[in-house]
Amino acid sequence: MSSLFDKENVDIAWCPGCGNFGILKLIREVLEELEVDKKTCVIVSGIGQAAKTPYYIDVNMFGVLHGRALPVATAVKLGNPNLCVVAEGGDGDMYGEGGNHFIHTIRRNVDIVHIVHNNMVYGLTKGQASPTSQKGFVTKVQVGGVVNEPFNPLAVALSLKAGFVSRVNIGDPLHAKEVLKAAFRHHGYALVDILQPCPTFNSTNTHHWFKENSYVLDDTYESSDFHGALQKAFEFSPMPLGIIYQDKSIRDIFERSIRGEDAKPLHAMTHDVSKIQDLFNRY
Amino acid sequence: MTIDELKRYNGQNGARAYIAYKSVVYDVTNSPFWKNGDHVGEHTAGVDLTSALSNAPHGDEVFKEFAVVGKLEGSEQISLVTQTPKTQEHQNDSHELFKSKLKTWYKKYHPHPAAVHFPIALHLFAAGMDILFLITLNEAYNAGVFYSFFIATVMGLVAMVPGILSWWINYNFSMQRAFVVKLIVASITLLLGVVAIYIYYENPHVAYEHSFQGILYHAIVLVTGLNVIILGYYGGKITWGYGRYQTLTEDSKKVLNITKHESAVSHHSASQSISILIGGAAGTGIATLEKILSGAFKKNGFYIFSTKEYMSRVRGGSNTTLIRISDAPIEAPCWKVDICIALDSLALEHMQERWHENTIVFADEAFSEKKTNMILVAMKDSAKKFGNAKYANTYIAGVLFGALRLDKSSLLENIAEHFKDDDVNRDVAESGYEEGMKLENITLPKLPKSDLEGVKKLHLMDGTTASGFGFLAGGCNMVTAYPMSPSTGVLNFMADMSKHLSIAVEQSEDEIASLNMVLGGWYSGARAMTTTSGGGFALMGEALSLSGMTETPAVIYLAQRPGPATGLPTRSEQGDLNMALYSGHGSFPRIVLAPGSLRECIDYGYLAFEMADKYQSPVIILSDQYLADSISMIEKVEFSSYEQRSYIVQSTEGYVRYEDTKNGISPRTVPGFGKGLICAVGDEHDERGQITEDYKMREKMVAKRARKNDELTAEAIAPEISGDGDIAIIGWGSTRGAICESLEYLNNPRLSHVHFAWVHPLGKEQLKSLERFKYRIVVENNADGAFANQLKLYDVKIDNQILQSNGFSFFVDQLSIMIEKSVKELS
Repeated sequence: MSSLFDKENVDIAWCPGCGNFGILKLIREVLEELEVDKKTCVIVSGIGQAAKTPYYIDVNMFGVLHGRALPVATAVKLGNPNLCVVAEGGDGDMYGEGGNHFIHTIRRNVDIVHIVHNNMVYGLTKGQASPTSQKGFVTKVQVGGVVNEPFNPLAVALSLKAGFVSRVNIGDPLHAKEVLKAAFRHHGYALVDILQPCPTFNSTNTHHWFKENSYVLDDTYESSDFHGALQKAFEFSPMPLGIIYQDKSIRDIFERSIRGEDAKPLHAMTHDVSKIQDLFNRY
Repeated sequence: MTIDELKRYNGQNGARAYIAYKSVVYDVTNSPFWKNGDHVGEHTAGVDLTSALSNAPHGDEVFKEFAVVGKLEGSEQISLVTQTPKTQEHQNDSHELFKSKLKTWYKKYHPHPAAVHFPIALHLFAAGMDILFLITLNEAYNAGVFYSFFIATVMGLVAMVPGILSWWINYNFSMQRAFVVKLIVASITLLLGVVAIYIYYENPHVAYEHSFQGILYHAIVLVTGLNVIILGYYGGKITWGYGRYQTLTEDSKKVLNITKHESAVSHHSASQSISILIGGAAGTGIATLEKILSGAFKKNGFYIFSTKEYMSRVRGGSNTTLIRISDAPIEAPCWKVDICIALDSLALEHMQERWHENTIVFADEAFSEKKTNMILVAMKDSAKKFGNAKYANTYIAGVLFGALRLDKSSLLENIAEHFKDDDVNRDVAESGYEEGMKLENITLPKLPKSDLEGVKKLHLMDGTTASGFGFLAGGCNMVTAYPMSPSTGVLNFMADMSKHLSIAVEQSEDEIASLNMVLGGWYSGARAMTTTSGGGFALMGEALSLSGMTETPAVIYLAQRPGPATGLPTRSEQGDLNMALYSGHGSFPRIVLAPGSLRECIDYGYLAFEMADKYQSPVIILSDQYLADSISMIEKVEFSSYEQRSYIVQSTEGYVRYEDTKNGISPRTVPGFGKGLICAVGDEHDERGQITEDYKMREKMVAKRARKNDELTAEAIAPEISGDGDIAIIGWGSTRGAICESLEYLNNPRLSHVHFAWVHPLGKEQLKSLERFKYRIVVENNADGAFANQLKLYDVKIDNQILQSNGFSFFVDQLSIMIEKSVKELS
């Protein structure tokens, strides 16, 4: 089925059965259903199989370096706070190479949606461990199995007081759509960690495995309770799915704090030359 | 009322509308020009408009009509604006005074806009009537055409006179496009007008004839109608500005001719100068002393240069500040000094090697014994009498001024300016001054001749500040950077300026984020830059390459310090040229600029943004600790002469980001501006910005990026050459002042100075001027001779090199000897 955000004449570079197909469809549908204006929406992505997603969506995009989508997205938003900005990439891109930016983007509370495809393995470099790979996972590099503790994005985000922290499984697209929509509606930084299988390089964490090892948080779960959320973030088997934490109160948002509430896009502004002259004359 | 309180009265949502002017707050709520707090779409209520008024088409007489509701507190800064030295200067200058009186008169009556509507309306009226006449051949129309045309022509002359007056008093005969076009078109219109009137006067029936005169008459009437539309259009542009939506026209492809500016330091020599070296531990106030003394020396009519060398620590150690005062502009330090002031024993020892046989040394009797040429002063003890040994620096400033028999009030004024609420410093300085007056039987060096008028016109600032003003002139409105000496000054400066201008400043988590943020900023339409030094720039290599591939502009201010690794963090070197030239994987066009004077800091700071925007490429501005931290003087800079152009186009449907154009520059737009979508990517891509591995497409894109390089090489600025000698002393960047003064000192007619501020890329065209030299000697503040090696790549023969990489910039006295020796080796 074709949608408003389908892109023509593209050669999709993913393996058959890849979880990315589901995520691509999900994002296209969410953008369409939320009636996002494609001209004022920008998706910034890093490098990796996941980061190729925006190449297949008919929207503004900036394909940058491995790990660097977040600082770029931050400044895109700062330059024009009226844009709808999304940063997208995989677990290696966002949690490994870009780990430092992950921390500081959360601290800034930039009003962007941060989508991370999490398949617990490196795809484009062909099968090495990712920061989220489970202990004991054997690869060509981690020949005796992964010994490092897996990175816990939800707990890290929470410890930095992220205002919206969520995890979904692309195996449950209806639930995923509901959560992603909430992330777009959230004012401030919103993390959506999407579990997805890699049929080529990860035979441990399969579709079936994700289904068996996760559960959807029901209506009784209080997502505004920070301490409860912190506890949930550390649950592993099974992993909770849904909005783990959301702070709906009004918080300072990075670009608004720096640029002011009704900041115009910077490309539409020039300095008052007489002001520069006055400032110079003071010396 | 404070500025914050004032903000609430913005006239919106039923709030009252207040504005401030020269510390007085006025209520403009009921003014028809301030509906809902908006003034002609340019200003909003709730702000201080003191500085904005100079740009307004009216003067401050408008405030008379409004009720005064209070005084604006905390507006010292604003009151400073109204009492800038500029106005004081003007009072001494009858020409400027006359001009400023004219300006006031003009602002009150604005005669040009008042007169100009008559010829515009009448020319259009005449043209319209003539068309009617040509259709109907009715004589009434014909007569109407002539009379209205006649009056239009006369009124045209009447409008031109105040127009030219305005061009002089308001725009200093600026040669910007709008003015040139207006002048030419207005003159043509007037000339044609006279011709048409003459034709009609000779033969009133000419309008009915198919003769040459007849056709010419009608043609003139119709063409002048078009002319006045052009005149009105450019008049509007002058009044309301060009805005950022100006698209790339053939004209704006020309780079502003920035080489026309003369630096304060030109090649005329200082006949008398005194050098004063002050040494002390970090935190003992030698930086304060530098500020107070340079300001006070300036008030005495001396040309100033000062520089500092300091250790990488916040307290302790031994730092020095060198101040040179002179009777002509200077822009370089010297090694041996005439006067030396030691604030502690470590400093005394540290500075010894910089004494010559007649150096007069001021030291404290507490830590030094009496020697020849040494003056012992009880600095600490006297300071303690005022309650704190910290006053020693102010005390010694007083002693120095007393000993030199300089005007006391100038020093006290500067002290009062510097220590706003602290009267003790004033008393300390006075007491020091009296002590200095008592010093007799010492032979202090002869004071240079004072040039009060000449000095008053100049501004005193460091290279950091000048660079900052250059970036502002270039329209910089986003700075993302990680602090690193010696680049942090510009970050601080821009952050401070963000209080007055719309600049988004963010301290990034690391230098990798810094440059990636710069790219994100440009992508969405900002004019963004980062500031860093060598180590930080090393981390930016990958993002630099991304700038090249995605053709996203970037400006990087790289203030060098000696490496490798942490090296000498607070000292100076020109050691990062190779890194600036070669960092980043793959090949892509880049521009490297290296200003060497305050004027060049401003010019090239501006140029950096223009070039980055125009060529969608990274621009690296190379400075160094020496240039950034040295204070010297600069003549008044007219910021209106730096035209901020926008190279952003409005996109149409089907827009492609990487259109394969003739010159390689693809029109750039930003999200939300037009109907197109932007796909910018770091992978090799097709014109759409879609990933491709097609080898033909790859070849096409490589060629496209290379064509940009050809285009910008053609725009490269040739080196500045001074002197007619056959031996070229070649320098780049911050060596300019030192080479310049060394050559003056050596006074050898065979030596010429060749200075490069545009470092890369260069072409045969720019280097042609080097062919005439018999010998070429390259002077560089580094160990690898990177620039000489660049010149060799362009087949420039290098005969000798002068290199220094000890952490200091070149000292004039030492450099003179080095040049002399180098020249001797050749001939």
